[in-house]
Amino acid sequence: MKKTSLLLLITILCLSVVLAACGKNSNTGNTGNTGNTGNTGNTGNEGTTNNATKGKNTPKPVKLSILAWNNEKEMKPVIDGFKEKYPHISFDFQFAPPVKDYIAKLQTMLLSNTAPDIFIIAAENRNEIIDGGYALDLTDEPFMSVMLDSNKPMLSKAGRTYAFTQSGWAGGLFYNKQLFQKAGITQLPETWDEFIQDCLKLKEVGIIPLYDRMHDITIIHSAMFGSNVLSKDPTFDEKLFKGEATFAEGWTEVLTMWKEGLIDNKILTPDMIGLTGDQVMNEFSLGNVAMFPGGPWNIATIEKTNPDIEFEIMAIPGKEPGNKYYNGAPGVGFAVNSKTKNKEEALLFLEYMTTQEGLKQFEEGTGGIITAHGYESKVHPAYAPAYNDGLMAGKIYLPMVSWDRHQEALRNQFLVSIQDIAVNKITPEQATASLDKKLKEMENK
Amino acid sequence: MVKFVRQLQFQLFLLPILAIYSLFTIYPLIKSFFLSFTNFDGYTEAYDFIGLKNYVRIFSDDAITSAISYTLFFTFGKALLVTLLAIPLAMILDQKFLTRNIHRAIFFFPSIPSGLLLAYIWGFILAPIGSGVLNTVLRELFNIGPQPWLSAPLLAKLSTIVVATWAITGWHAVLYLAFLQSIPKDYYEAASIDGANRLQQIRFITFPLLAPAMTVSVMLLLTGGLKVFEIPFALTKGGPGYETYSITQVIVLRGISETQYGLASAMSIVFFLIVLAIAIFQVTVMQRREQGIQ
Repeated sequence: MKKTSLLLLITILCLSVVLAACGKNSNTGNTGNTGNTGNTGNTGNEGTTNNATKGKNTPKPVKLSILAWNNEKEMKPVIDGFKEKYPHISFDFQFAPPVKDYIAKLQTMLLSNTAPDIFIIAAENRNEIIDGGYALDLTDEPFMSVMLDSNKPMLSKAGRTYAFTQSGWAGGLFYNKQLFQKAGITQLPETWDEFIQDCLKLKEVGIIPLYDRMHDITIIHSAMFGSNVLSKDPTFDEKLFKGEATFAEGWTEVLTMWKEGLIDNKILTPDMIGLTGDQVMNEFSLGNVAMFPGGPWNIATIEKTNPDIEFEIMAIPGKEPGNKYYNGAPGVGFAVNSKTKNKEEALLFLEYMTTQEGLKQFEEGTGGIITAHGYESKVHPAYAPAYNDGLMAGKIYLPMVSWDRHQEALRNQFLVSIQDIAVNKITPEQATASLDKKLKEMENK
Repeated sequence: MVKFVRQLQFQLFLLPILAIYSLFTIYPLIKSFFLSFTNFDGYTEAYDFIGLKNYVRIFSDDAITSAISYTLFFTFGKALLVTLLAIPLAMILDQKFLTRNIHRAIFFFPSIPSGLLLAYIWGFILAPIGSGVLNTVLRELFNIGPQPWLSAPLLAKLSTIVVATWAITGWHAVLYLAFLQSIPKDYYEAASIDGANRLQQIRFITFPLLAPAMTVSVMLLLTGGLKVFEIPFALTKGGPGYETYSITQVIVLRGISETQYGLASAMSIVFFLIVLAIAIFQVTVMQRREQGIQ
């Protein structure tokens, strides 16, 4: 008896093993509700401010649901502005943090037919959303003229655009001007070799040149690919996914330069893999390290941690002078659920986001950089180089946007490979071979 | 017949939990088994049967082979360490001393918060740079340079085991403590009258009578260890490379991030069989051991 009951217990425990993975997924389905719309100004508005905007017939109240990875605080200005204009529309706002949590949550909702009226499309799930027919085709909506053409490819398939984005971002290397001066660096590096020399100069005077967590396809890798490969052949990624080029052809040189310059010179060391993003930013703010890869989202925290710091962003130079690149992409796009019952209202909301007022409120709320026709974004002076020479000049690259398929699988293979290079387990040739193998495997799955 | 009806009315009480268990465990299991033969990607509901292709792919997947070896290393390392520490700890907590209850609470506490939370805090302690807590202590006290606790392959593996052991030892000590307290004091009295010293008492009375506790504790450690996710994930995110990827993490990675639900389902099924085999083997061996001792 005892034995059978124990065996039963084992089987139950084991069964729960299989569900470990599913459990994570199904949880995400209902957690986000905590971010329910707590906008207090909600009810008071109805009686007072609606008279000017809408006509005689009061439209019947509609509740729009939104899922975004911008949190409620960030979205509040836009939503409040919209509600003031259209008081009959209220919101059920849900939030899931980027990237994986958001994607898993939206995926669960789409599959179970409980997806919100409006959701966001990111580089990481654009193929699945567009191919699955989950998003409404927005190409012919008049408000889409506000969207920059360079922002469209990420959110399009076969010339049709499925989401609206008003923002973009570029990341580069933040450097500490005081520490550069201390090491006698007066000019920013124009070539990769000069960049490595500058790192070594910093090291010589006892300053840690650079922290990089190597937890993704890093900003340095993306920008290096831009400055060394894309600058010569802008269609490389297209060829890669048509089977006319390989990772070995495009990335081996980049990874070799990276390894010989940064790993072999011990500018980047494997122990940095264990750092967290906050630790890196903190060390930079406190002047313990001269450079770190980052983007506009870091600026406020750096200044808050150390108001006296003098810093600026710079691009990653290529092998030859004049080819400097940033890493970057359009921001996530807002899309309308193709099965929504509130299509008209959802489109109204998107239209509102494209107005000057909507753009301004989105900028205020998210602190993002607006890249839309007819709107001038205020950027922090430390960020001006990335805005002018990167974003506006189109010198940005992000594999996740540029790769046509299997981005997540390739991204993961990439980050595992660079960590293996960093601990000297594999060579750059082996790394690119593993990427080619992964791509082949995913194509034949 | 009467007996059967009597039995039945008790069985009825099991219905609600059976329904819940079927809905949340049996049904998904069957569904996973079904999906493991398809190329379902988690998004489109149209998918094809591809036979055993997913099962073949598992064995050529670097991530899963690396994850199986790490998970086994983690599981057995943790089970061994916890068992070695929990039994003496239980014996100490069984003694009479002034702060006994507080000590029991202190050791039990780390098993209450989520592993994710604990691991994030340990992440600060084990931070690999010079300003990490542990590295600062080592430098100040022993003048040892910074150690890459979470980024060198072997050290990262050991760090995850140490953190997991720290978190769960107290819980298992309490389990042993419960069994310790059920050992009648007469045995010890009789033994001491016969002239047995403390060590002999432990060897010939405490240990054999703790055997059932050990069976349960080791089984929980093994199944729990094989299912590990939070602690390595929060400490190292699986890095460097695939060194500290757990099996569950690979399943989540392949299934959700890379949208290969079919493959991930096949992995889950294979994983289920591995855990089942290990658990049955362990319980059979340890029960035989119990019977042998008693």
